[in-house]
Amino acid sequence: MSALPRLSTIFLATITILVAVLLYSPLFVPIVSSFFTISHGSVDWSSPTLSTYVALAENHDILAALRTTLIVGVCTVILSVVSGTLLALYYHSRRSGRSLLQFIIFLPFLMPPIISGLALLIFFREIGLERSLLTVVIGHTVFVLAIVYRTVLMRLQSMSRTLVEASYDLGATGWQTFWRIILPNLSSAMVGGAILAFALSFDETMITILVTGTQSTLPVRLWAMMRLGFSPDINALVALILMFTVLLCVLAARFLIPRQVATERT
Amino acid sequence: MSEAGSTQPAERRLSLLVTVLAFALPVVFVLVPLAIFLGYSFFSVDQGTIVYGLSLGNYVRFFTDPIFLPVFWNTIVLCVSVAIICILLAYPAAYFLTTLKGRWRYALLMLLLVPLLMSYVIKIYAIRSILGLNGFLNKALVALGILQEPSTLFVFNMNAILLTLTLLLIPFAILPIFLSLERIPQVLLRASDDLGASGLQTFLRITLPLSLPGVASAASFVFVLAIGDFLTPQMVGGISGFTFGRILYSQFGTAYNWPFGAALSVALAVVVIAAILVGERIGRNRGTSV
Repeated sequence: MSALPRLSTIFLATITILVAVLLYSPLFVPIVSSFFTISHGSVDWSSPTLSTYVALAENHDILAALRTTLIVGVCTVILSVVSGTLLALYYHSRRSGRSLLQFIIFLPFLMPPIISGLALLIFFREIGLERSLLTVVIGHTVFVLAIVYRTVLMRLQSMSRTLVEASYDLGATGWQTFWRIILPNLSSAMVGGAILAFALSFDETMITILVTGTQSTLPVRLWAMMRLGFSPDINALVALILMFTVLLCVLAARFLIPRQVATERT
Repeated sequence: MSEAGSTQPAERRLSLLVTVLAFALPVVFVLVPLAIFLGYSFFSVDQGTIVYGLSLGNYVRFFTDPIFLPVFWNTIVLCVSVAIICILLAYPAAYFLTTLKGRWRYALLMLLLVPLLMSYVIKIYAIRSILGLNGFLNKALVALGILQEPSTLFVFNMNAILLTLTLLLIPFAILPIFLSLERIPQVLLRASDDLGASGLQTFLRITLPLSLPGVASAASFVFVLAIGDFLTPQMVGGISGFTFGRILYSQFGTAYNWPFGAALSVALAVVVIAAILVGERIGRNRGTSV
């Protein structure tokens, strides 16, 4: 690219910085607040403290919601990775109705969550399934399936056919080829997809609000509490969740990016 | 992977079974619920119970009642505005990223996308506290002398929804624009430079037209996400910031009119599908002409 005139570079950089500030301001406000106490609606900036973190450890409501979120997340990950991988394998190997199948898988991801959520809500009512954690897990799985499916399918399509052919040439059966060649090659895409699925499930609010029973996940609980305003310990929770999310992002990038770059180069 | 045509009956039966199994999950949990949902939009409610008789009453009500169409239209205008503002901010940022070299480019891209994965609800809450009457924004504006006293311009109204949705959705605009900018062959830019075009000419005649598919998909992403949201308007909209998503949501809560809510959802779905198709069409047409 030709050297940009200095003025336009400064202009572009300024807007980029502005965007970064806009994006990060709602993240930093609660983090910074988490180290200070609030009394009578105003923040006491004079003395940083960890008291909000201590209060958080004693907030059983929030901890229970966090546990529910983790349970839902793990179940969603298992279901979506298993079915997403199977569907990707099916799409990769067969001809009949592939594009229709793919369209259906992508529907909940393209549709506004309020529509997917309401459709599931009515569906569960019609088949007589009580709203519970099971319905939440189903809702999350349907929602994140497209991501896992796509991640695995992309890896599958970038995988060299010669590996499979070599395996057959060396006398391996279909199952042996699957377990020893295909699955190990897919594993990092599956792990990356699993992390993305977990991150999405961890934050999913709109579908969850509609299909949840008495137990609510963390975002739903926070949503309910917000109407009254937060207690300060929520800021501590926010800070912890943000750190956790950054960790997840780094992990996902690790599993998804380096290998792909490596295969592109060879 | 198996060769077609010479399959044994048993193998064909297995293949059919696999096909049925592959379709079972998506059909049962995606297609069937959506179909039932569509069916519900033709039912009606009588004294709190759902009447399973087909009628167009819900749709007639949507088009004739003076409440719904204006809100529907206002919401569309709102979400188009959000998409436009997002693109105006995201385009320069994405362009700036592509001028960077190697590792910096992706590190910065990552930095701008990470906020996407962070709790939606918490961000809304934080933005609300920033926009509030005693929030950071008002305090900053007063401190800078721009305002005499805290303004209610962006407190619990449509403006608040507009600002909040924009802040939440910018990353969704950055990614597609960045990808389409990155895909532009450097040869074209060098050729333009060699032929004596100025930087601005190259941008207007080469870069901008070739990045339009990315802009189109960015716009349709942001629009679709904005119009499907009911949490943000519910949180920051107050009484005056009433959007279609909130009306829809209320039909399933307080109003308890599921069939009418389903009909409203169908209207929403139509707009969403149209937006996706338009985005895709512009994206594909331009994309194939390269």
